[in-house]
Amino acid sequence: MASSLRSAILRHIRVPVTQSLALNGSRLATVRSMSSHGDDHLDKQAVIDRVLDVVKSFPKVDPSKVTPDVHFQKDLGLDSLDNVEIVMALEEEFKLEIPDKEADKIDSCHLAIEYVHNHPMAS
Amino acid sequence: MASTVKYLRVPPNSASLEEARRRVFDFFKTACRSIPTIMEIYTIDDVVTPSQLRSIVASEIRKNAHISNPKVIDMLLFKGTEELNNIVEHSKQRHHILGQYVLGRPEITPDSATKDQGSEYLKNFFRSNYF
Repeated sequence: MASSLRSAILRHIRVPVTQSLALNGSRLATVRSMSSHGDDHLDKQAVIDRVLDVVKSFPKVDPSKVTPDVHFQKDLGLDSLDNVEIVMALEEEFKLEIPDKEADKIDSCHLAIEYVHNHPMAS
Repeated sequence: MASTVKYLRVPPNSASLEEARRRVFDFFKTACRSIPTIMEIYTIDDVVTPSQLRSIVASEIRKNAHISNPKVIDMLLFKGTEELNNIVEHSKQRHHILGQYVLGRPEITPDSATKDQGSEYLKNFFRSNYF
């Protein structure tokens, strides 16, 4: 009897589809926002500082010439092996693993900062 | 076996200098990525830092930077990969690593430069019997 009463009531209550979807969507959204996966990106200024520190502590580099726009080979006078070494130092600093195609493109501080800032796994 | 570098299949010879160059950079990256393992195996964290080890690897590679024959570069890479494999597999010991790669470099052991101030006589003596 309770079941028939329940089904009679349910037949009268019409929950519009959009509203239920919105409810589900908002519930999912709240669940998603509680996970710590949301705070992915590092602060841009912190990234800039850390990248500049890595470049400055490279033994062949003159620390006074390092700015966020400096090009490794053109401005700092390094060669391609030094470029790879700096990229590896950045990999170590931010605990990343940069694939070869991306690593070839990182030629300057600016590109390095962009890449690290956009990488979801940087820490 | 712990992290053996891709070594089993010997790749065909590099077609061009550009490909050999690419292989050199790949080798360098593999070596850098195994540096934390090496530091842990041989417990050299109190002697060198990872960035110094990277510089050491880079300077070893740079010693042969003038070579232009791709086959010679392949041979050198083969030897380098073999050496890296030996080190990572713990076939060597701590004094090998320190003696071959760490000591004697002016930027890492700066005090050895001042210790070598023997007299002129001693320097000649060490060089040969007749002076």
